[in-house]
Amino acid sequence: MANSNVGRPDNTPVWIISGILLIYGALVASGALTGLLTTFKVHKAIDLMQTMSFMGGGLGVVVALLRQSRMGKPMTNFDTFFLETVPGVLFIIALAMGIRWFAEPLMKMMSAGLVPVLGFKIHKVLNLNYVVLGILVGIIITNSWGIPKFAASGVKTARFVLKMGVILLGARYSFAELAKLGMVSVWMIGFFVLGTVFFTLFLGKIFKQPKSMTGVLSAGMGVCGVSATVACAPVVKAKSSEMAYTIGTILGFGILCMFAFPTIGKIAGMNATQFGAWAGTGILNSAQVAAACLAFNAVDIKTLKVGEIFNITRVLFLPVIVLVLATWFGKASGQKLTFKEVVVDKFPIFIIGFLILFFMSSMGLFSPPDHYKGKYLDFSYNERTEVTPEELVTLEDAFKAGIPGLHADEKSAFADLVKQHQIAGNFEDRTNDAVFKETARERMRGLESMLARQKGGELTLSKDVKSAVKHAVKQVHKKSKTVVTLTDAMIWFFAYGLIGLGMQITRKSLAQAGGWPLVMGGIAGVTKATLSFIVVMYFVKDVVLH
Amino acid sequence: MSEETKNTEVKPQDQEANEERALSVFASEKNEDLTALGMVMIVTFLVLLFTKWLA
Repeated sequence: MANSNVGRPDNTPVWIISGILLIYGALVASGALTGLLTTFKVHKAIDLMQTMSFMGGGLGVVVALLRQSRMGKPMTNFDTFFLETVPGVLFIIALAMGIRWFAEPLMKMMSAGLVPVLGFKIHKVLNLNYVVLGILVGIIITNSWGIPKFAASGVKTARFVLKMGVILLGARYSFAELAKLGMVSVWMIGFFVLGTVFFTLFLGKIFKQPKSMTGVLSAGMGVCGVSATVACAPVVKAKSSEMAYTIGTILGFGILCMFAFPTIGKIAGMNATQFGAWAGTGILNSAQVAAACLAFNAVDIKTLKVGEIFNITRVLFLPVIVLVLATWFGKASGQKLTFKEVVVDKFPIFIIGFLILFFMSSMGLFSPPDHYKGKYLDFSYNERTEVTPEELVTLEDAFKAGIPGLHADEKSAFADLVKQHQIAGNFEDRTNDAVFKETARERMRGLESMLARQKGGELTLSKDVKSAVKHAVKQVHKKSKTVVTLTDAMIWFFAYGLIGLGMQITRKSLAQAGGWPLVMGGIAGVTKATLSFIVVMYFVKDVVLH
Repeated sequence: MSEETKNTEVKPQDQEANEERALSVFASEKNEDLTALGMVMIVTFLVLLFTKWLA
């Protein structure tokens, strides 16, 4: 009887996790937790919480019953791939739920509470979001209690789920993004992305680091941080600890940049566009790019927009990098590969998936094709785009009285808002879509600039006028529900995958890699920042966006 | 018996591949990728169905 389970771990943990999920779902459904969830600002996810808890809990009960009935019988494929995997999957889902709905909001609240002491939000600076928290939780579990036996098979699904996340990433971008950038900018981004990748590979050779470590680090330093690391890891067969190292290096380097960039930019006398282009090229993590741009210049909205779009566009180089790394890895392993073998045989199918979703997104399947992370501008004449009648009165009064200190573009944008009750192009241009939208965008920029200058203390607006203008800008910003939902799914896949990834990282594996990845990342990052600084200073004058 | 002994010899390369494989529940990289793609397609279809076509 000693071997009656034939390698099956105990069923009790499955019952416990299912029970916890079901009880949590019931508590949320009963409304007992609504107060707490509102404090954590996650009450909007109540429906999702119920669905996930009840479905997960229900599945857990079914699996637990099936496993109970099969104890002592030999394992079949159904056991290996389903019954033994689900407990671990549920375990990670439960952890992911805890991180998304409790740990992350708690971190935000604590960091907001520390603002009076520190003067800044520490979770933003240290980037303590679900990505980092997920990996940390995984690492802590593995290195303290070890991966629970019942969850071992489920943890092996982490890489698979991460791949799903990378495929979904494609849905957030579109060709229109590339079209917004001028050719100079596209060349510049391409040069720096590929340049950093090759430079890091070269450093890896000098410092004699494993190919897998160098490969994944080069992708992370070249493209766009965490997502690129995840996407390229399977191509170079990187270990979990190497991925963790890369993510750590990128985020650590980004923290330094966030403080150094604005100061250097100011000393060098960069203009708004130049700084945006530099930060978007040199800093890897998009949240850190935004923070640096705002620190440099909170008044001119151009800085942030240029920075963000430079940063985002790098992701579109992902398939190219995968191709480069696949070729390099094949060659470095001593295989002679023909072009066909690299492109057709070695190109990972999940990156093709990323391209498929990217293509679908560019075709406008998820939202109007010129969307930006699912957000798009809608200037069509529509009651839902207008300001309220009360706001209109406020705006008219302010217009009659005149606002001192307005620039010409701000003035005309404001006048047109009063005239048309919403942000729009010229009425007579309404059949010519391109002209109509361009005029409208210009007006929106004018109004946004008013708000930004008011915030920076350059302009005085009454509270009502400010809120009316803000509302007018908000009204033309529409969000595609499809892209928002797909993004949410992606975040869950990443959270799940990263917890699983963290669970595969032991202290021993981290010690094996030593400090070299940090050194290499640091050298590559500083070189890129310096070179892009020179390029930006000499070649990017003003207009980089169409 | 001698057949068996021969077969138990594991080349370092195979060993490495096995370790890598052990981190996944799938039989091969291709299977893993195709399953991921299939699942994402299902997710995408469902999301489109509920947020766009039926909404």
